[in-house]
Amino acid sequence: MKRLLLASTAATLFATGAQAQTTIELQRFFGACDADYGDVTDVSSAVGECGIITALINDFEAQNEDIDVEVTTVEWPGYDQLNAQLASRNAPDVVSMHYSVISDYTSRNLLEPLDDLLAEQGIETSSFTDAALAGVTKDGQIYALPFDNWTMLWHLNMNLMEEAGLVDDSGAPILPSNTDEFFEHAATFEEATGKPYLVQILANETAAYARLFYTFMLQQGADPFSDPTQIDLMTPEAKAVVEFLKKISDEGATTTDMDYAAAVAGFGSGEGGIGVNGTWLIGDYTAQSEEEGNALSDGYTVYPIPQLFATQDATYADGHGWAVPRNPGRDDDVTAAIGKLMAYLAENDFQWARTGHLPAVASVFEMDEFQSLPHRDNIAEVAQTGQSLNPQVLRQFSIQDIIGEEFNSAVHGDKTVDEALEAAQNRINDLLANL
Amino acid sequence: MSAAAPISRDQGRILFWLAVVLSVLMLAPMAWVLLLSFTENEALSRGTEAAFGGHFTLKNYSDIAGNSGVFRWFLNSLIVAVGQTSGVLIMSSLAGYAFARLEWPGRKVIFVIVLFGLAVPEQAVIIPRHQIFTTLNLHNTYIGLMLPGMSLPFGVFLMTQFFRAIPSEIDEAALLDNASRFRIFWKVLLPLTLPAQATLGIFTFLMAWNDYWWPLISGTDKEMYTLTIGIASSQVNFAQTEGLGFLAAQAVFAAIPVLIVYIIFQRHVVTAVSGGAVK
Repeated sequence: MKRLLLASTAATLFATGAQAQTTIELQRFFGACDADYGDVTDVSSAVGECGIITALINDFEAQNEDIDVEVTTVEWPGYDQLNAQLASRNAPDVVSMHYSVISDYTSRNLLEPLDDLLAEQGIETSSFTDAALAGVTKDGQIYALPFDNWTMLWHLNMNLMEEAGLVDDSGAPILPSNTDEFFEHAATFEEATGKPYLVQILANETAAYARLFYTFMLQQGADPFSDPTQIDLMTPEAKAVVEFLKKISDEGATTTDMDYAAAVAGFGSGEGGIGVNGTWLIGDYTAQSEEEGNALSDGYTVYPIPQLFATQDATYADGHGWAVPRNPGRDDDVTAAIGKLMAYLAENDFQWARTGHLPAVASVFEMDEFQSLPHRDNIAEVAQTGQSLNPQVLRQFSIQDIIGEEFNSAVHGDKTVDEALEAAQNRINDLLANL
Repeated sequence: MSAAAPISRDQGRILFWLAVVLSVLMLAPMAWVLLLSFTENEALSRGTEAAFGGHFTLKNYSDIAGNSGVFRWFLNSLIVAVGQTSGVLIMSSLAGYAFARLEWPGRKVIFVIVLFGLAVPEQAVIIPRHQIFTTLNLHNTYIGLMLPGMSLPFGVFLMTQFFRAIPSEIDEAALLDNASRFRIFWKVLLPLTLPAQATLGIFTFLMAWNDYWWPLISGTDKEMYTLTIGIASSQVNFAQTEGLGFLAAQAVFAAIPVLIVYIIFQRHVVTAVSGGAVK
């Protein structure tokens, strides 16, 4: 009996040893949805950002029984919490991070370069799209696994566009190719439908202004951050963009006074022809268009923001990546497990692309499953035309807020365009000078 | 000062209807949040008028209950709020008594220094405080979450004023009966301060329960999340459109303990708001 007990104990210990758990602490936004997806490992059955990332992690754990991924969710974007953790030397192993804030951490040497880790897993940097790779590369090194690209798009109510005669024989929307044409289309649209051409987020909003500003600056080939330590907004290109944004509002070519939620619902209920919003809404609007009896029924499509300025077709794009905070004391086992997780996430980038975000892995664009997703062929070009700000620019989230506040003042007539540009420039340069 | 003249019947009627209108205005946002919390998220994403369209659901609440961490966060909030409230009551009472009743060198200067604390915003001290707590290894502990809120200059001020308002003859009578200072404090004066204690306790509890910033940067381990942090962390990125019903259900869920505290201590809250606590 004693021998039996000893044998069973030894067997248990051996089994436990063989399955010794390595724990990765992963911190992310995208919300928590344990009630719906807590046990789901079939990723293809999951929908939405929260559902898909939860199922992905569950599936990874199921495939790697020796690795436990301890997930902590944070309120979007979670950087206050991360900063506090870094300050108290208590940061997680893997953290979700926008490409636009990576510089804030790399400039303080707080992130691990991932080139070697990715190479060990057989992930070649050439496998990523240009836009995604540019987003995570700082000083020639990769500081996050790129997971997607997102950008502002033109979500089109094709029922209203057709009513306005802005659809060609093939059924494709006729979009403007310069700012003059934009206003001609807007006038035509309003005359035919009695509704504004655009549904924009113009209240309680800063991000949308900044993203549109960057897009139209890029289209003019102008870089307001040619020197990454200061912004130059006293240029003809910057003035042209803000005057264009103001004219859209002044001429009634847009809904006004809508915040984010109102603009999302407003486009869905047919209050205008074109919803200017992000990639993440494609799934919701597509689902709505497949139902009967609503403003988008059988009449929704989506395109990148058209080239309205002459120099180049470009759009401002950001993205989500997975960064690894620097921790000299991290065990090799944990580092290896992080590498496996990165490889898994890259391998399953298509699943994430079902959210509406554009894939970071270039080969996903060639997948039949991806191409069969609604509207993705229309927006695939963003993988080439998408550009981020100069990666050396710090505090991009704060800069975005300043630009949004000042341009909002200009668009609503509280400041002249020149005053708004000057105020934005002074505030941003004060911010950057005091880092 | 002469007594106020009694209000006429017409004035009373006007005041009554004014109160009704104000009550409706105050309750309307709460009723709206309650209604949203029982409405499907998908329907709400297409327009909040869906709340009146029969898209009734309990899923928003079941999603809260289905989150494995929510009861832990609830417990954490309760521990932090009760602990912080207890600490504030004990320290404010002792300090208030010392400032109001005892003669000791530097009393006035130190009282003024304590009052200066009222003028120092949390933003001004949060970074050094965070660093001190890092050095002391207090982050992600209950004591770390409670300690900052325990230094409440307002509490000291309130209790000092309340002790000062109690006639000194009471102490003198007790001293004549050979009662010790602590006995006078504990048996004679402290019971007289119960209205102020209740007021201070309620405000401290509510403040601790609703606190967001310090728990966000100190209790970063999900096991140490308070309810405010936990429910915020479980929101999807565009909760205001994609999860409005869930957002409203979270607000209702988080408000329930506060409502219970309010209902139990309603009389004292009203007294506090009307200024009756400091006589």
